[in-house]
Amino acid sequence: MLLDAKNVSKTFGSFWAVSGADLAVEEGEIIGLIGPNGAGKSTFFNCLAGETLPTAGRIVFNGADVTRASPEAHARAGIGRTFQVPTTFEDMTVLDNVMVGAFLRHPHRNDARDHARRIVDLTGLKADQQARSLGTPGRKRLEIARVLATDPQLLLLDESLAGLTPTELHDAIALVRRIHDMGITIVIVEHIMEVIMTLTKRLLVFHQGHVIASGTPETVVKNEAVIEAYLGHAQRRPPPGVPIPAPHSGEGFSGGGSD
Amino acid sequence: MKSILSPRVGLFLLAAGLLFYPIVFSGAFYRDIGVAVLLAAIFASAWNIVGGYAGQVSVGHSMFFGLGAYTPLLFYTLWGWSPIAGIPAGILLSIALAVVIGMPTFRLTGHYFSMATIAVAELIRIFAGTWNLVGAAIGLQGPATARGWWDLTFRSELPYYYIFLAVLGILLTITAAMERRRFGFYLRAIKAGERAARSLGVPVRQTKMKALALSAAFTSVAGSLYAIKTGFIDPDSGFGILVSIQMIIVAALGGAGTLFGPLLGALILVPLQTATNTWFGGGGSGLTYILYGGIIVLIARFEPGGLFELWHRVVPERWRRAHAT
Repeated sequence: MLLDAKNVSKTFGSFWAVSGADLAVEEGEIIGLIGPNGAGKSTFFNCLAGETLPTAGRIVFNGADVTRASPEAHARAGIGRTFQVPTTFEDMTVLDNVMVGAFLRHPHRNDARDHARRIVDLTGLKADQQARSLGTPGRKRLEIARVLATDPQLLLLDESLAGLTPTELHDAIALVRRIHDMGITIVIVEHIMEVIMTLTKRLLVFHQGHVIASGTPETVVKNEAVIEAYLGHAQRRPPPGVPIPAPHSGEGFSGGGSD
Repeated sequence: MKSILSPRVGLFLLAAGLLFYPIVFSGAFYRDIGVAVLLAAIFASAWNIVGGYAGQVSVGHSMFFGLGAYTPLLFYTLWGWSPIAGIPAGILLSIALAVVIGMPTFRLTGHYFSMATIAVAELIRIFAGTWNLVGAAIGLQGPATARGWWDLTFRSELPYYYIFLAVLGILLTITAAMERRRFGFYLRAIKAGERAARSLGVPVRQTKMKALALSAAFTSVAGSLYAIKTGFIDPDSGFGILVSIQMIIVAALGGAGTLFGPLLGALILVPLQTATNTWFGGGGSGLTYILYGGIIVLIARFEPGGLFELWHRVVPERWRRAHAT
C-alpha cells in the first residue's frame, strides 16, 4: 500500500471539517474525491499534503508516518500536490518555475534545467513564456508541470481541471492519463463528473466531513446517500441513466453544502 | 544598435567606468562621492540578498552594519589592534546575530518580520548608547594617523575607492553565482509564494536563514569599511534606523531583487544627496528625510520594481522603434 490514511479528523473550534476519514491508496491507482462545496474534501486533501495538521488520525506513506511532517518533507518523501487557486511564481518564466521543482532531486543547475525542459515539453508549455502572461489553463498546467518535476510517487490534484473549456478539458484529461502512464499514483479532487467518470476507477464521496460512500464511479452514482447529499431529497432522484449534475454548473445543489 | 548595448558590453563599460572614474575625476570632492557611491552600493547589495531576492524586507539591517562598524574601532581602542582584525570579528558576530534574530523572526511574515527587525535594531542602538565599553553615546574613534598600511588609514581617497570597489566586485560576483544556482531559485520562489515553494520541497526557513547570514556578513563588511574610512562611529551612524532605511531605498530605487539594481540606485541617489546637501547647505540634513520620503512615495506609486525594471521595459521598445524606422 502506498498511502494509508486512517481515521483522519480535523476540527476548527467545534466544527468538524473532516471526521474519521479513511483512505487507502494502492500504487498505480487514480482515486477521485468528490462531494458538495464545503464537504471537507480540501481539508482532507491538505491533511494528506502536510499543509494542515490533522486533529486526530494517522497517515502512513510508503511505510513511514507522515502525519506531522511538514509540506516540504512531504515533497521530499514523494507526495506532490497542486493548489485549487494556482500559485505559480509570477515573476519567473515557465522554465524557471519548473526548475524550482526540479531542483529537489537535481541539485545541479544543468541537470535541473534538462529535467525541467523534459517536463515542460511533456506538458505542452512554452519554456520561455513569463508565468504572469499565462491564462487559467496555462497556470493549471504549469502547476502540474512544476510538481511533476519533483518526481512524485503520489500526485494530489486539487481541482486542477476546473474552469477549463471542453477542449482544454480533454487536453487536460489526456495529460493526467499520460502522467498516470508514467507510473504516478493520483488522488484527484474534482467537481466535474465527466473528469471523475473518465479518469477514476475508485471514488470517495465526502459530505459534511464524513466519507459517505466509496467504490467504483458507477456504484457511487447510484448510491442513495450520495444522491441525497447532492440533491437534498432522495425523492428528487434523477431517472436512471442521467448522471448527477456537477455542482459547479449551478447554485441549485447547495442543499448539502455546509460552508 | 543591439550589439552595442548588449549586456556583456554594458557590463564591460560599467566596470571600466568604475575603474577609471577616480583617475578621470581626480578632485577630492568627486573621489569622495565615488567612495560614498560604492559604499552605498555595497550595503544595498548586501541587503538585497535577503530583502530583494528573498523578499524578506528587513528594516533592521543597521544592526549588522553597526556591529561591523564597531568591532574594528573597538579592537583598536581596547588593544591598539589594526582595524583589519575587527572585520572578521564583525562578520562572525553578525552571522551569529543573524541566526539568533532569524530563528524567531522568520516565523513571522511580511510586515511583522519588518517590525521585529526594527525593534531589535533599535534595542541594540539604545544599548550601545549606554554601554561605556563601546563609548556609550559618544562612540569610538580609529587611529588618527596611520602607523602603517595595515591601519587602513589613508590621506587620499584613492586606496579606499579601490578597496571598496574590490569588495563590491566580490559581493556582486557571489550574488551573480547565487542567482544561477538552486539557492537563488529557492529565494525567488520563497519571495513569490512560500506556500507553493514549500509544496515543492523548498526548505523555506533554512533557505531564508542562509540568505540572512550571507546578507548580514556583507552588511557587516560595509559597516567596517565605513568606520575605518571615517575613523569614527557612534550609535546613530552605526545602528540608527536611517542606516537601514538608506539600504532599502538605494536597493528599491534601482531594483530590489536584481543584480545591478542596488548599484544603479547608489549611482543615482548618492550624488543626488550630495547635491541637495551642497545646495541647501547646513539646513540640508532635514531635507535628506524629505528626499527619502519623496522617493519612497514615487517608487511605490509608479515603479515598484525599481528603475531597473523600467529600463527593461523601455529599452526594448526603443530598439523596436529603431529597427522599424
